[in-house]
Amino acid sequence: MITILALLFLPLVATAFTAWKRSAHINHGVTLVAGNAHLLASLHCLVTRQNPFPGDWWLAVDPLAAFFLTILAHTFVLVVLYSPGFLRRMEGPEYDRSKRLFYPALNFYLLANTLALVVQQFALLWVVLELATFSLAPLIFFYRSKESLEAVWKYLFLVSLGLVFLFVGVLFLGLSARGVADSAALVVPRMADAAPQLNPLWLKAGFIFALVGLSAKIGLAPMHPGDIDATSNAPAPVAALMAGSLRSTAVLALLRFYQVVSPTEVRPFAQKLLVFAGLLSLAVAAVYIWRNRNYKRLLAYSSVEHLGIIALGVGIGGVALLGALLHLLFNSFGKAALFFMAGNMHRSYGSREVNSITDLMRRLPWSGFVWVLAFFYIVGTPPFGIFFSELFVLQGMIRTANWLPFTLFLALLMVIFIGMSRVVLRMLQTPSGVPPQSVAKQERWNLSHALGLYAIAASVPLAIFQPAALFDSLRAILATFGVKL
Amino acid sequence: MINVLTILFCLTLIYLAVTTRLSAYVLILVLQGALVAGVHTLAFFNNFSWSHLIVAAGVLVVRTLLIPAYIVKIIRQLDMGHGDRTRRYHPGFLVQMAGVVIGAFVISHQLSRFTPVNVIPFGAAVAGIAAGGLLIVRRRLLLAHVVGFLIIENGLFLLGIGVQAEMPWTIELAGLLDLFVLVFLMGIAINQLKSHFPEGESAELTGLQE
Repeated sequence: MITILALLFLPLVATAFTAWKRSAHINHGVTLVAGNAHLLASLHCLVTRQNPFPGDWWLAVDPLAAFFLTILAHTFVLVVLYSPGFLRRMEGPEYDRSKRLFYPALNFYLLANTLALVVQQFALLWVVLELATFSLAPLIFFYRSKESLEAVWKYLFLVSLGLVFLFVGVLFLGLSARGVADSAALVVPRMADAAPQLNPLWLKAGFIFALVGLSAKIGLAPMHPGDIDATSNAPAPVAALMAGSLRSTAVLALLRFYQVVSPTEVRPFAQKLLVFAGLLSLAVAAVYIWRNRNYKRLLAYSSVEHLGIIALGVGIGGVALLGALLHLLFNSFGKAALFFMAGNMHRSYGSREVNSITDLMRRLPWSGFVWVLAFFYIVGTPPFGIFFSELFVLQGMIRTANWLPFTLFLALLMVIFIGMSRVVLRMLQTPSGVPPQSVAKQERWNLSHALGLYAIAASVPLAIFQPAALFDSLRAILATFGVKL
Repeated sequence: MINVLTILFCLTLIYLAVTTRLSAYVLILVLQGALVAGVHTLAFFNNFSWSHLIVAAGVLVVRTLLIPAYIVKIIRQLDMGHGDRTRRYHPGFLVQMAGVVIGAFVISHQLSRFTPVNVIPFGAAVAGIAAGGLLIVRRRLLLAHVVGFLIIENGLFLLGIGVQAEMPWTIELAGLLDLFVLVFLMGIAINQLKSHFPEGESAELTGLQE
C-alpha cells in the first residue's frame, strides 16, 4: 500500500500542492520528497519483484515496469535537484508564469508517466500516453518565445498524430483477439498468454501501426522532427527529462506490444521492422549530426541515435535485448549530464550555436570538463556504461549472424563519433576573439557539475560489477520475451 | 442504414475538397459528428446498453456542439476571416480526395476477402483518416490542420465500428474527453501563435528547420 501511495498518490498530491502554493522554495522541497519517495518505491519493486497492486487491477508493476519506473524516478530526481539553480537564473517578469507552472507540471509529468508505465490495458495505455504528452507542453513552452511556441506546436501535433496511429494499432490488436477467450479486454498479460491463438494478419497490422505511432514519441526516424525541435528548444532540465525518461516511457509502450507479438509467428516480422527502424534512425542521426551547428540539436539527434540502438537491440533479440535495456538506463544518465552542461553553456554564452562557443575550458572550466567526459560517455568509450551496452548489442548481432546490420551499425557509429567529435573539439579549442584575460571568467563548482559527474560515474560500477539485484530483474524481463541467458 | 450514414460521411469529405471557407470546415465537423454518433447508435442497436447510449450522447455533444463551438470562438477571437487565403480552390485537390475515397473502398473490399470487416463503414473510416491527413498536407492554415486532425479522429471512431471491435465504454469516453482536451490545448496554442505569427499559417513555422 505504501508503494502505491509513493508511486501514484504522492505525485498527485504534489501536483495539487505545488499548483496551490506559490513559494518556489517549498515547491522544490515537496517535489524532491515526491521524487525521492517514488525512486525508493521503484527500487523496492525492482529488487523484490513484487507487484504492489491487487491482481484484478488494470495497473501492475511487473519487472519490466519496475525497471522503467526506476529510470523515470532517477532522471526525475536529478532534474529536480538541478532545477533551483536553473530557475534562479531565469530573471524577469516574462518568466514569472512559466516559473509558477514549472513544479506543478513537473509533478504532473511524474504522475502521467508513472501511470503509463504501470497500466496493463492497451486502450488505457493510449489515453495515459496522451496525458503524458500534454504534461510536457507547459514545460517545453517555458521561454514563451517564438521558437519554443513553434516547438510545442509541432510536438503536440506530431505526437498526437502518432498517437492516432497507435490507436489504430490498439484497434487491430483487439481485432486479432476476436473469438479468443479472455483476450478481448486488451489486458497485456492475458493477451500475451493467449498470443499464439491471435490472428497473425491483424497482429502484424497492429504492430506496424503501433511502431509508426510510437516512433513520434520515441524519436525514431522518420517521425523524429517534432521531438528534435521540442528537445532542442526546451530548457535544459526539461530536455534532460525528455531525453532520459519520456522516450523510455514510449519504448515501454512499444515493448508491451512486442510482449504480445513475441510468442507468435509474427515475431520475426516485428524484429525485422525494429532492426530497420533502428538502422534508419542511426543513419538519419549520422547525417544530421554532421550538418548540425546547434549543440542542443546535436544532443537531440544523439538521442535519435541511441533510441535507434535500443530499437536495433530489441529487434536482434537475445543478449542484444539485454544490451538495449541497459542502453536505456545508461542513456538516461548520460543525457542528464550533457543537457545540464548544455544549460550552463547556454546561460554563459547566451547562444545555442556551436560557433558562439569559444574558449570553453577557460571560460567554463568545470562545465567544459564534465561536457568532455559526458561526450566520451555518450559516444561509447570504455569504461562508461554505454560502451558495455553497445557491446551486448554487437554480441547479439554476432551470435545471430546478422552481418549486414552489424556492419552498418559499426559504420554509422564511426560516422557519428567523428561528427560529434568535430563539434565538441571545436567548442573546446576555438580561441576567443577577445583577449584571454576578459574571457577567463572562472566558473565556480556547483551542484550541476556534481550531478553531471555523478550521472557519468554511476554507470561504471553498474556496468562492470553487474549488481545481482539489477541483473536478476533484467533476466526476469528477458524471460517475458522468451529470452534465457 | 449504417451504410447510408457512412456514405454521407464520405460525401462530407468530397465537400472538404471543394471548399476553403473556415465556416464550411466547421459545418463539416458538425455533420460528421452527427453521422458518427448515428453510426455508433445503430451499430449497437441490437445489443443495447446504457453505456453505448452514454457514449453516443457524448459523441453527439462533444463532436457536434462543444468542439465546433470552440473552433468558431477561435475564428471570431482571432478575426481569421472566412477562408484559407493561402490556397484557393484547386481541382487537383478534389481529384486527390476522390482518389483517396475510391482507394479506401478498394482496400476495404480486398481486406474483406481475408477477414470479416464491414466493407462500407471500414472503407469510409480509412477514407476519413487519409482525407484528414491530406487536408493537413494541402492546407497551410493552422486551424485547417486542427480540422484535419479532427477528421482523422472521426475516421478512427468509424474504424472502431467498422472492425466491430467493441472497446470498453470507459475507454471510448476517455478518448472523447481526451479529444476535447486536445482541441482545447491546440486552441490555446493557436491563440499564442497568432500573437507571434499574425497570418496563422504553417508556412511561417520554419524557424526551427535545419
